[in-house]
Amino acid sequence: MKRSIVCRMSAFAAAWGVALLALLLVGTPAEAADHSSDKNSQGALLPRDSTDAKVFRGSLVYGNYCVTCHGFNADGNGRAARLYNPKPANLRMSDKNDAYFGLIVRMGGEAMGRSQFMPPWGAELTDEQTNDLVAYLRSINARPKE
Amino acid sequence: MKQLAVGIFLTASMLACACDAFAAEHVVAQKGKAFAVKKLSVKLGDSVKFVNEDPFSHNVFSLSDAKSFDLGSYGQGASKAITFDKVGTVEVECAVHPDMKLVIEVSK
Repeated sequence: MKRSIVCRMSAFAAAWGVALLALLLVGTPAEAADHSSDKNSQGALLPRDSTDAKVFRGSLVYGNYCVTCHGFNADGNGRAARLYNPKPANLRMSDKNDAYFGLIVRMGGEAMGRSQFMPPWGAELTDEQTNDLVAYLRSINARPKE
Repeated sequence: MKQLAVGIFLTASMLACACDAFAAEHVVAQKGKAFAVKKLSVKLGDSVKFVNEDPFSHNVFSLSDAKSFDLGSYGQGASKAITFDKVGTVEVECAVHPDMKLVIEVSK
């Protein structure tokens, strides 16, 4: 079971790695042309503050810290979900905005009137990690817009 | 008949107290994002108290068949305890710090 989880996490990371590599490769000719005239360029093909970069970094944060409860699909079916009733939130269908996501990540569920089992991550994650995580959660949100 | 029932109740109570008297409480500190020990052997009925000596929260849990639990988040200086009532191997983790691992062997 544990090996299976590790394999799935590795596959998750590998999939993102391949996706990033593909992005880098696909972007190479055009980006290279742009950078040839940009003296400030450090060769990064994904600007640090770009949404894609945030989403990618956020996916790593999610895979490391959130997946245990919320699951690989962010649908609330992580391996620890069976411990909780109500079960962890289905983040794909969440109607919360980015500010709310940021608050509940930093302060934990209890402080927000939600599950006491959602830990406060404010001391563990940097602001950048939290913001990246929020960007990732926004990117996977599949709730139909009203 | 009533006296017999009372007698049985008292005997059972005394036995329960005697068992409790033999149950031990083990203390495991959490410091520097690590459990103080990596492995721990306890007897059936023993409890383990997890003491947070870090300046941030920990959240101890286990998904093992021998004992599934989540002690929730608790901050510096706080502690939570859990009693082990089934023989087996219990893999203990921290939800906040995925690298924290502890294996507890529960035996008769």
